[in-house]
Amino acid sequence: MTERLDHQKLLAEIDEEVRRRRESGDIPADLERELDLVFARFAPVDALEADFDQVLTRAEQATFIDVLAPTESSRPVVPIFKKVVRKLIGWYLRYVANQTSTFAHAIARAVRLLGERVDALEDASPLAAGNAVLRAGPQPADLAEWAPIVADRLRGVEGRVMHGEVGDGSLLTALVDAGVDAYGVDPAPRSTAAHEVREDEVVVHLRAVPDATLAAVVLAGCVDRSSLGAQLALADLAAAKVKPGGHVVVISRDPAAWQRAEDPVQVDLSPGRPLHAETWRHVLAERGFDDPEILHGRAGDDTLQPVPKGNAVLNANIERLNALLFGPASYAVVARRS
Amino acid sequence: MPDAIHQFVPSFVPRDAIGTHTRALRTLLHELGIESDLYVGEAREAGRGEVRDYLSYEGARPGQRTWLMYQLSTGSKVAEYLLNRPEPKLVDYHNITPPEFFFPWEAHVGVELDHGRQQIPLLSGCTDLAFADSAYNEAELIEVGFPKTVVGPILVDYDSFDQGVDTGLLDSLQSTRRGGHWLFVGRIAPNKCQHEIVKAFAAYRRVYDNGARLTLVGGSSSHAYLTAIKNYIQALGLDDAVTLTGNISQQALSAYYKAADVFVCLSEHEGFCVPLLEAIYNRLPVVAFDAAAVPETLGDGGLLLSDKSSVAVAAVVDRVVRDLSLREALTAAGQARLAAFSTERVREIWVDALKSLTG
Repeated sequence: MTERLDHQKLLAEIDEEVRRRRESGDIPADLERELDLVFARFAPVDALEADFDQVLTRAEQATFIDVLAPTESSRPVVPIFKKVVRKLIGWYLRYVANQTSTFAHAIARAVRLLGERVDALEDASPLAAGNAVLRAGPQPADLAEWAPIVADRLRGVEGRVMHGEVGDGSLLTALVDAGVDAYGVDPAPRSTAAHEVREDEVVVHLRAVPDATLAAVVLAGCVDRSSLGAQLALADLAAAKVKPGGHVVVISRDPAAWQRAEDPVQVDLSPGRPLHAETWRHVLAERGFDDPEILHGRAGDDTLQPVPKGNAVLNANIERLNALLFGPASYAVVARRS
Repeated sequence: MPDAIHQFVPSFVPRDAIGTHTRALRTLLHELGIESDLYVGEAREAGRGEVRDYLSYEGARPGQRTWLMYQLSTGSKVAEYLLNRPEPKLVDYHNITPPEFFFPWEAHVGVELDHGRQQIPLLSGCTDLAFADSAYNEAELIEVGFPKTVVGPILVDYDSFDQGVDTGLLDSLQSTRRGGHWLFVGRIAPNKCQHEIVKAFAAYRRVYDNGARLTLVGGSSSHAYLTAIKNYIQALGLDDAVTLTGNISQQALSAYYKAADVFVCLSEHEGFCVPLLEAIYNRLPVVAFDAAAVPETLGDGGLLLSDKSSVAVAAVVDRVVRDLSLREALTAAGQARLAAFSTERVREIWVDALKSLTG
C-alpha cells in the first residue's frame, strides 16, 4: 500500500530546492523573463502588457497584408490546388489588400502623429516636469534598517515572496538568508548577483501574477514616489495576489521626514508623496487585511539635547521639536490577510 | 419520468468531450426507456443518421411528455430556437470560455463566446433544471439565476482506451526516447495556455533534462494562437522536441498516454477537463495548475500548482519524472480519485436527477 501523499509538504520541499538552485546560479535568474520575451514576439499586443510605442509599432507592422496565402499541406495534391487558387484570385486579393493597407497605414500614421503631439504636451506639462525630477529621487527608505525586522516577520512563510523595488538588495538578501523563497522586481536593478531579480515595474509584474498565489508581497520605493491612484492600485494588486493567510509589507518614508529632508523642488513637483503609516493601515484593512501593524524606524541621531536641570516647559518643547524635526525617517506596515 | 428527452447540440463532434457525453447520455436515456434523439446546429464526422438538423425537429407527439435538453457550451442560434419552443427545457452546462481569452487572438471566436454568455441568462428564465459538469460551472448558473441546478459530471468513455493502441506509434515513441516525456491533451486554445507549457518545458530542458520531449495533442481553436505556438517552439529551438499532433485517432491517443511520463496542464480556464481523468485512467501522473474546475476534477489525484512560473513547473515535473515512489503514490491517488467519476457513479447521479423530472 502506497503511503498517502502530503502534497503541501512535497511542493514546499521542491520550492526550497528551486530556491537553493536559484541561489547557487544553477537556474539562471533571468530565465523566465528570457522565455517570456521570446513569446512576446509572437503574441498579439493586447494579449501582453505593452506600452504605447510597442503597441503602435505592432500596429504599423500589421498594416502590411500578405496576399500570398501559405500553400503547404500534409496531403498530396492539395498544395498544387492551393497554388492554382492563389494564382486565380491573386489579382482580386491584391486590389482589396492594397486599399486595406493604405487605410490601415493612414490610421497608424495618424495615431503616431497624435502620439507625438501628446508627448510634446506632456513635455510641456508640470506633470512631466515632476516626473523628470522624480527620476533622480526621492530617496527610498533605508532597506538595510528594515532587513532583519521584515525577514524575521516573514521567516517560515510557505510560497513565493515578491519584493518590489529591491534597492541595494539588503532586504532581499536577508529574506533569502532567512529561508524565504523571495525574488525581487525592480525597474532598474543595481545587482542581480546570487538572487532572482526581474527587471520590471512592480505594478506591471503584479498584474501578470495569477491571483492568490504569493505568500507575501513586500513593497518599497515605488510607494514613495507614485501618485495616490498608483499607490492604491498597488494596494489592490497586492491584496489580489496574496493568498489567504499571506502577508503584505509596505516600507515607506515617513511623510514628515520626506518633506523636511528632500529638495523643496522635488517635494513641490512630485506627482506623488509617501502616505502616512496610518493611511496604509486603513488602506490595507479596507482590502481584507487583519489589523495591520505599524513599525517605526529609528529616529535621527542629531536630536536637540534637554537642558540639564532646565525649565520643564523648555525641555518639553525641545522634546516636541525633536519629534517634529528628528522623528523616524521611515516606517513599515505589516499586514496579514484573513 | 418523461417519455422523451431530445438533446440539442450547437456543434457536434462525436469524439470530443461533449460529443462523447451526449452520445453516452442518449444511450442512458434509451436504457431508461426514454426516447432521445440528437439535434444539432452543425456536425462534423458524425455517422449517417446519427444526428438531425435542429430545424427538422417536429415537436412533441400528442400525449408524449417531452423535454428538450440544450448542451450549452458556446453561443448558438440553436439556443434562440429553443427559447421559442413550448416544451419544458433542461440545460446541460459545460461552461463557456470567457471571451477575453480569445479576443486578442481570434476576435470572431471571442464574439461567439460572448454571444453564448449573453444567452445564459435568457435560458435561465425558461429552464426547469440545469445540469452542470462541475460545482464550478454550477456556481455560474446559480449566479445567473437558474432556479434549479444539479452537478452532473461528464460521462467519459474510458472503454475507448481499452480498444487498442497504435503499436507502431508506441514503439516509435519508446525507441526514440531520450528523456522525460510531457503530454497535454486539449484543443490549442489561449485559455489552455499551451504556450506556458512550452515555456515550462523549455526551462525543464535547460535546467533538468535536455533530452526531454513534449507532445501537445489536439486540434486548434485559434489559428493565430497555434501559429504563435509554432513560432515560439521554433524560436526556442525546440522543433525536434515538441510535437503538435493535431487531431489524432483514439489508438494514437492511447499510445501517447502510454508512452508519456507526466501529464501537464497549465490551463487558466476549464469547465471540467476530461483529459485529466483520461490521464489518470491511463495511470499517468498529473501536474496541473490550480484554476477554474481543475482542482475539483483532479482532487488529490494529482499535484496541483499554485505557481505556474516556468521554473516552478519544471522543478515539479522533474521530481515526478525521476522519483519512482512519487509516481507510484500519484498513480494510486489518481485511481482513488477516478472512482468519483467512474461510469457507474456518474450514471447513478444522472439517473437520480432525471428521476426527479415530472411531467
